[in-house]
Amino acid sequence: MLEPYFQWLGKLPISQAIGSSIWIFPLVQAIHLVFLALLAGAILIVDMRLLGFGLTTRPVSQVARDARPWLIAGILGMISTGIPQLMQNSMREYYSEYFWTKMTLIAVGLVIMLTVRRKVTQATESSLAGKIVALVSIGVWGGVVWNARLIGLFT
Amino acid sequence: MADLMMPLHDLFQWVSELPTSIAIRESQYVSPYLTVSHVLSMCFFAGLIVMMDLRLLGIGNMRTPFSDVQRRLFPWQMLGMGTSGVTGLVLTYSDPMRFYVNIFFWTKMLVMVLAGINALAFHFITYNSVVKWDSADTTPFGARLSGALSIVMWAIVIVSGRLIPYNWFQN
Repeated sequence: MLEPYFQWLGKLPISQAIGSSIWIFPLVQAIHLVFLALLAGAILIVDMRLLGFGLTTRPVSQVARDARPWLIAGILGMISTGIPQLMQNSMREYYSEYFWTKMTLIAVGLVIMLTVRRKVTQATESSLAGKIVALVSIGVWGGVVWNARLIGLFT
Repeated sequence: MADLMMPLHDLFQWVSELPTSIAIRESQYVSPYLTVSHVLSMCFFAGLIVMMDLRLLGIGNMRTPFSDVQRRLFPWQMLGMGTSGVTGLVLTYSDPMRFYVNIFFWTKMLVMVLAGINALAFHFITYNSVVKWDSADTTPFGARLSGALSIVMWAIVIVSGRLIPYNWFQN
């Protein structure tokens, strides 16, 4: 269904330009990983707190508020380094089941982040619901990383 | 330099001929899944290191005293370092000669050592005065320097690690 769009994306002059350089793609891919570390830290520090680990001397809501700017920075960094990779490699991604699993999990992860996780991180202490949300969040984002790395290894 | 590298060359060569090294190298699935596990461990390790570094810089997690951030995250950072270390070591063990000739591999190793020295230097120098700035709005120069160096060096480690498959500088 989306195939023509992926073909169009891959044929854009800018996509071709990224592909014609031997170092732009690898470097963008590497910087994507640096932003991944930032994003993972901003997610983990809050999910760990919800589970009763890490910064337990502070209220959940404070830890979450402190993490938010870095969470947003991490997401923006991932998107801006992810899109050029998709442009240059659009058809490989289109035919990779790992890519679509990754995208689905990102959608699930973002929905959780903006709904239930937002709710449980407004409290001072974590409830059972908070712990479950944190576990699901870690699992989903871990799944994103797992599938993302496999696109390149098994496609 | 060539003479200095000789014992390392011989060690890497010797490992590459061990039956277990050959077995992992020839398996189709072990090294991809080790690579993925290495990346997941990296997220855990580098993620929590960066969170502490932002606190050192005075720009992140400021609602928590620094000593709390340091003490509470330390065991988890060490867990991340352990799993990254083990998966990385097995990956190197499985194909040592591939890494031996790779400039990005050695860059990564060198910068990891420098990042370790930076962490120890911070611990034995700046951290001694932590009571004075633990909950202050700003952190001292030494703390900011260590935090900035740590972020830059771990970023170089991640980037050079990811570039290992692209051996542009190899004959």
